[in-house]
Amino acid sequence: MEKLLNMARKVCDQAEIYYCEPTSSEVMFQKGELHDIESQFQSGMALRIIKDGKLGFSYTKNLIDREEFIQNALDSLKGGVQAPYDFPHTSELPTLKTYNEHINEVTSSSMVENCTRITEIFIKNTDAEIEIVAYKEVLNQRIINSQGTDVHSKIGSTGYWLSLVYPGGGAGISRVYEEKIPFSVSRNILDNLVKMYNDSSKVVTIPGGKMKILFMPGSMYTLLWRLHSGTSAKSIYEEISPIKKDIGTQIVSEAITFYNDPLDDEVPGARSFDDEGVPTKKMNIIEKGVLKNFFYDINYAQKLSKQSTGHGYRASMWGGDTITMKPTPRLAHPRIAPGEKSFEELVAMMDKGIILDGVMGAHSGNIPNGDYSVGVSPGLYVEKGEIVGRVKDVMVAGNVYDTLKKVVAIENKLHTCWGGRMPAILCDSISVSSK
Amino acid sequence: MLSKLKRILQKADADYADIRYEIKKETFITLDGKELSNIGSTTTDGYVVRVLKNCGFTSVSFTKEDDAEKALKTAQENAVLLGNNIEKPIKLAEVPIIKDTFIPTLKEDPRKISIEEKLNLLMHYNNIPLAHKKIVMTNMGYSETTREKYFISSEGAEIHEVLITTGISGSIISKDGNLTQNVRVGAGGSDGFYTVRELDDKFEKRTKIAIDLLSAEPVKAGVYDCILNQSLAGVFAHEAFGHFSEADIVESLPAMRKKMQIGNKLGNNVLSIIDNATILNQLGFYKYDDEGVAVREVKLLTNGVLTGRLHSRRTAHEFGEPISGHCVAEDYRFAPIIRMGTIYIEPQDKTLEQLMEELGDGLYILNAKGGQTSGENFTFGAQYGFIVKNGKKEKMVRDINISGNLYQTLQDITAVGNDLKLSKTGGCGKGQTNIRSCHGAPHILMKNVVLGGV
Repeated sequence: MEKLLNMARKVCDQAEIYYCEPTSSEVMFQKGELHDIESQFQSGMALRIIKDGKLGFSYTKNLIDREEFIQNALDSLKGGVQAPYDFPHTSELPTLKTYNEHINEVTSSSMVENCTRITEIFIKNTDAEIEIVAYKEVLNQRIINSQGTDVHSKIGSTGYWLSLVYPGGGAGISRVYEEKIPFSVSRNILDNLVKMYNDSSKVVTIPGGKMKILFMPGSMYTLLWRLHSGTSAKSIYEEISPIKKDIGTQIVSEAITFYNDPLDDEVPGARSFDDEGVPTKKMNIIEKGVLKNFFYDINYAQKLSKQSTGHGYRASMWGGDTITMKPTPRLAHPRIAPGEKSFEELVAMMDKGIILDGVMGAHSGNIPNGDYSVGVSPGLYVEKGEIVGRVKDVMVAGNVYDTLKKVVAIENKLHTCWGGRMPAILCDSISVSSK
Repeated sequence: MLSKLKRILQKADADYADIRYEIKKETFITLDGKELSNIGSTTTDGYVVRVLKNCGFTSVSFTKEDDAEKALKTAQENAVLLGNNIEKPIKLAEVPIIKDTFIPTLKEDPRKISIEEKLNLLMHYNNIPLAHKKIVMTNMGYSETTREKYFISSEGAEIHEVLITTGISGSIISKDGNLTQNVRVGAGGSDGFYTVRELDDKFEKRTKIAIDLLSAEPVKAGVYDCILNQSLAGVFAHEAFGHFSEADIVESLPAMRKKMQIGNKLGNNVLSIIDNATILNQLGFYKYDDEGVAVREVKLLTNGVLTGRLHSRRTAHEFGEPISGHCVAEDYRFAPIIRMGTIYIEPQDKTLEQLMEELGDGLYILNAKGGQTSGENFTFGAQYGFIVKNGKKEKMVRDINISGNLYQTLQDITAVGNDLKLSKTGGCGKGQTNIRSCHGAPHILMKNVVLGGV
């Protein structure tokens, strides 16, 4: 990498190399039986160069020809993508505990054993169609640039995705559990999932109207994507955020504190630098309902005369190979601060309403405007504080800024879920349509 | 290349093994508003090995040639572990052994067109919406993806296939006060650069829709009878029905599999759905899938009766049904999974006017805006719609998201139009992205549709 950097800096003003090496294995159980085992040994690198204020970019999986690789980046300069900024000089970073050697004890065999145990408990206690995935990933990353930055990280994670699918329905109760070291999911957690599944197995029909919705961590990405869009420097620059002038203004309930916490190394995936080598920090986006900060990468920070907040990540809504993407502003570690109620207390507070355990169609609808309109997948119906069954063919709709003004209470703990770590949030008077 | 792959595969100690090496070349241009934010061409590559051993079938993907032995060893160990933990041994359906090279015939090879010309064309289209005051932003991209694939199997298959996908797509964002609206626009295909030429008219029309949406009213939540235009009906065929024609999905859902038996009557008599990736010059076209099987036309639903299914070699054997050639990977990072090729609702005899008359009161909803399925339930968005009264199109409505149950909806499609149209942009994410996912339909009449409103 150093050789490549030296070659690159001879032909341009600044250069940056991003190297990424993910190794992963995955064990899949379907219908209560081992179904597939897959492994990946991937690696690749991306080169960004700046010359005369213009940006060049190339990437490769196999560095066979350094000159060609640099030439590809030089060729892309012709396009004239503006880059009137510098790559960062990052010298000191906090030490995070992101990798524990014990993760090597996770093998395909141990994952099969653990999934078998969970499967047996589920088979014995439910009529569900059981899907389980166990995985292990080790991610090595390194960024070096011509400003003298040389940062690297090694992140290990292992986890389980469990799903109890109602027969025929496709929808089910799904959860993710993730750690930095080998673990098994506790019997208590499994029993709670089984109870939730069994309590909601009966299909009930309800009239539409306004009612309480308990957004579970598994459906929170519906709201998260819209908040993300509204507070990203990209949307601010493009003037499509409905809250672009609202810094310092109360935009949602004061119960909501929405923040990004990349330094929390209690859970897997902590990062002391972003994908541009900028140091990260814990940052409130919304504090007690008041909009505090937007988040920036280097590019959009420059356009808006701000500093990068360490939120430049090579990622998209739908995944993809990280080396093929250029950094854009992204909240990689979003959280909503916990409240004071247990999950059981939240359910007890619902006279009637839906526990939105998962959704379909979160990506449809007018995301920049904050609007959502999602199918329940599944929706557990609650009456007088008790789960009485589940609803089908039902949609829940609203606007994130309106919905989060109607917060009744927030769960007292965070759960790992798609996109971040979230509590369950109970909101009142949300529009529900039904057949 | 094929002989190098043979050398790697010779080291396999397995009942069956295959290896795919793929070079992926991409050219991309992105405009955010007037600003160019990304441009370039680049090449990536990698390998995927698959191994059948001890009745277990597993895959490993890797980047470096030096990792080939480690990858084979890991795949073999995993296969043995898998075999030891399953009751029913995995077998692969027998297929003809193919030795062939397929290079598509292109009308205007995009690789021979300069990046300057591509950029100028994209900027030209992009300027159409940006000329309007109420259009505040566009996100517009040109993409060109070449998959150069080499496939070898221990049974003797040797296939070299090249797939070149060209496309322009993006969104047009309008704004009035605090209200933003967005409309998608795009075109492209599998047979050359001409598929992205002459789109001015399309950009003009979509721009007008984005502006008109600012004064449209949000649709009221409720249950409506709807006419779906071709794009939207095509998404229904893909999302709600198509995914359950994929054997790997149905296989994981026993109750669904029971309902989805070949010969079962599932839909209205007017409804026939076909997957045909062999139609030349369509976005969804390919010749061989990523396990070396020639793709064929599959009649999935015929007059409401389930008549076919999409398979990999593994599922074809497991279901005891004919192989179809639908096991496709996104690129060198992935083992193939079952994907639709070109799925469409077969046209019948009704004109749009006749459908409107049959609808009477309801909604005419147009153009897809993302969709998702979860078992028999589905949801997807429409970009815009019109209220229909007495068969006449009235005012425009926005924020349309519909949800339904597959089986009920297959019954509730009561009339099918005569104006089949196939999509020119793709993008299906079933764990991996399939940029060639092509769907289509004529206008259809669907009763009792749940709309979420906002």
